[in-house]
Amino acid sequence: MKAISLYNKTSAFNGIYIVFLVNRLQMLYFVLLQATFLVYPHMIWAIVAVGALSQINLILVSKCFSSELLLKGYQGYVELFGKQGVRILAGIGLLFLIVKIIVTVLGYMEMVHYFVFPSMDSNWLILSVLLLGYYVAAKGMDNTIRYVSIVFLCTFWMIGLVFPFFFPPIASIYDLFPLVPTSWTFQSWKGVLLIWSSLSGPEYLLVLLPWLGKQQKSLKYLSIGNAISVAEYLLLFIAAILFFGSHYLDKSKFPVKSMIRYLQSPIFERIDILMVSLHIFLVVFAFSIFMLMFYGGLRIVMGRSLQPGKLTGFVISLIALTAVMIILNEWIWKGYTGTNMLLELQIWLGALTYLLVPSFFLLAIKRKERLKL
Amino acid sequence: MKRNYCVSLLVLSGVFILITGCAPFVENNRIEEIAPVIFWSIDQGEEGRLSICTLVPPLVKEKKRLLTQNVHLLKEGGKLFNLIYYRELKLGQLRMLLVNEEVAKQGLNSLINTLFIDPEVSPRLYLVIIKGDFEAYIQNQLDKQPNLDYFLYRMFKHYEEKHQGEMSIVNLHTFMKNLHTPLSVPFLPVFKAGKESFTYEGTAFFRHDAMIATASGIDDQIMQLLSNDHYLRLLPIPSLSVTVGHIRSKVRIKLADSSAAVNVELYGRVEEYRGDKDILDHAEATELNDQIQTYLEKHTLELLQKMQRWKVDPLEIGRHTMTPFTKPMSDEAWLEKWQQLKFDVNYDIDIQPFVEKK
Repeated sequence: MKAISLYNKTSAFNGIYIVFLVNRLQMLYFVLLQATFLVYPHMIWAIVAVGALSQINLILVSKCFSSELLLKGYQGYVELFGKQGVRILAGIGLLFLIVKIIVTVLGYMEMVHYFVFPSMDSNWLILSVLLLGYYVAAKGMDNTIRYVSIVFLCTFWMIGLVFPFFFPPIASIYDLFPLVPTSWTFQSWKGVLLIWSSLSGPEYLLVLLPWLGKQQKSLKYLSIGNAISVAEYLLLFIAAILFFGSHYLDKSKFPVKSMIRYLQSPIFERIDILMVSLHIFLVVFAFSIFMLMFYGGLRIVMGRSLQPGKLTGFVISLIALTAVMIILNEWIWKGYTGTNMLLELQIWLGALTYLLVPSFFLLAIKRKERLKL
Repeated sequence: MKRNYCVSLLVLSGVFILITGCAPFVENNRIEEIAPVIFWSIDQGEEGRLSICTLVPPLVKEKKRLLTQNVHLLKEGGKLFNLIYYRELKLGQLRMLLVNEEVAKQGLNSLINTLFIDPEVSPRLYLVIIKGDFEAYIQNQLDKQPNLDYFLYRMFKHYEEKHQGEMSIVNLHTFMKNLHTPLSVPFLPVFKAGKESFTYEGTAFFRHDAMIATASGIDDQIMQLLSNDHYLRLLPIPSLSVTVGHIRSKVRIKLADSSAAVNVELYGRVEEYRGDKDILDHAEATELNDQIQTYLEKHTLELLQKMQRWKVDPLEIGRHTMTPFTKPMSDEAWLEKWQQLKFDVNYDIDIQPFVEKK
């Protein structure tokens, strides 16, 4: 079998790629459901507050960005944690990754299945996304990261679709009242957790560092990406509240999609289908980049990361992932409790990785530096 | 290497075709073979069933037929239509749901939910309450106006678009939002169907999902002015022999403990006058102005009192109790208060004079 070169580094990336990566990874899937869980107008403040917290977290991420060790990739990790340590950490990372991949793809496909092809077997839809993702992934890490600019251009403009909702007759100021929480329940805390979890994603940039290369002003780009995401969250959420009112909002399964469905265009009646379809760019991107991370992680766990990659191994892991995806779709995602369980799991795991990974890496780097001194 | 990828992907897809063992597309939407119906009309059927009817085929040059079925469930009707008609009926273009008054009085929730959860049905579906027999009307008009269903849809769309105050046109989404939001009342337009005529009657108010009462005539016009559209293209007042046109309104509501002041500013112009006054004279025009004002104040007060009796608040006066920093009132608490409210209605009418005074 020929060796494959998925992980070659051929060129450096501009800082704007960091903006795109951060923003699109934060706009992945939860943002489409967010409004249903947040429901109350006072959650606007929660989005702002959690956005600010995320900014603080990004300062930690940017500190890691300037570390030489992480830039070196696998060698750097070995220096940091030792060979066995890297294998264990990679193993744990794989679990987080696989849940994220599964929830993103299955969640998106459920939406497509519900709105666009209700009579189609959803496994077909999943298969089609996976095939697209494999194609992108097979182009290598460099090209996949480059692909994010296409993704950004294809999906970013959609936020403009929510502007009609800010004007009468849809908008009424009373829908935004009361702006302060009149009661704070367990559900509200879960809403906060969901926002934090939706904002997760930039921590995965840390393992992309060898490709992204040394960035001079990484904090600036990370912050811009984060700020765009928070602004988009706010726009979407306020528009959803104005459109549904907070008591009707939790009855909608896919609030963003239902809002877009309400819009009328003289040329194209179902703008929502256009939106759902274009979202596939983002899902394919996320899937392929996580897939590459997954395969890379798998190689570390197997202790083969220094040998040249082989096509067989890549294809086998693709097939395995496809099988896992379809089995999970059949057994778990199709049932109501199963979906909720996986969503809940991903909310917690996403929140956890975003909270812990940057500080964990930073601590390890600091410790290493102190040992050197 | 490239070939290997292609081969493995082909094998992969082949495996899945075998595993699932079915073609991916089940629905057949070949346009020549389907009938994307524009409306459904729901009436009380025999033995507690629903009688639903629709007109087929829509917008094809073919003899039109009215299909009717007696069913327990809405979608059951959709299925039965397919069994008696050679085209498959599709709901993707459903634009109007006409519900008979008797059905609406029992509650619309179950019917509306069926359409709400169907992703094919647009949230812009117009909901209409029918008094009388719509089926007979359509049946009677089949030869005279073959595309009647489409033209009715265009009528709703026309009046919805710019909110001109002629009719209260409500779509599925707005109805659902009003239904679920506290301190607001769902309302729908009411049309009266006779054998030869289809006439706008007024606005029907709902308590929860059941129709309670209808405001018609001047009541409906005041309703449009005060809440729904804040605009009236024409307001004829026969008792004063005057027609006022292009009326815009600004409503200010001040709520106190047991009273509510409703102050309305109106801007408009007299478009027609057939009475005895010389409206080109400033003093007499002012007199007419005062008469219109008294007339509107009286009828508005009457309408508000009627609404109190019906225990509905479609003008959403209760929403004025909401502030950014307090917990909103519950529906029950507001209704309690609503029935006790004393109203003070004031109109401030600014009707443009016909001639500038020198």
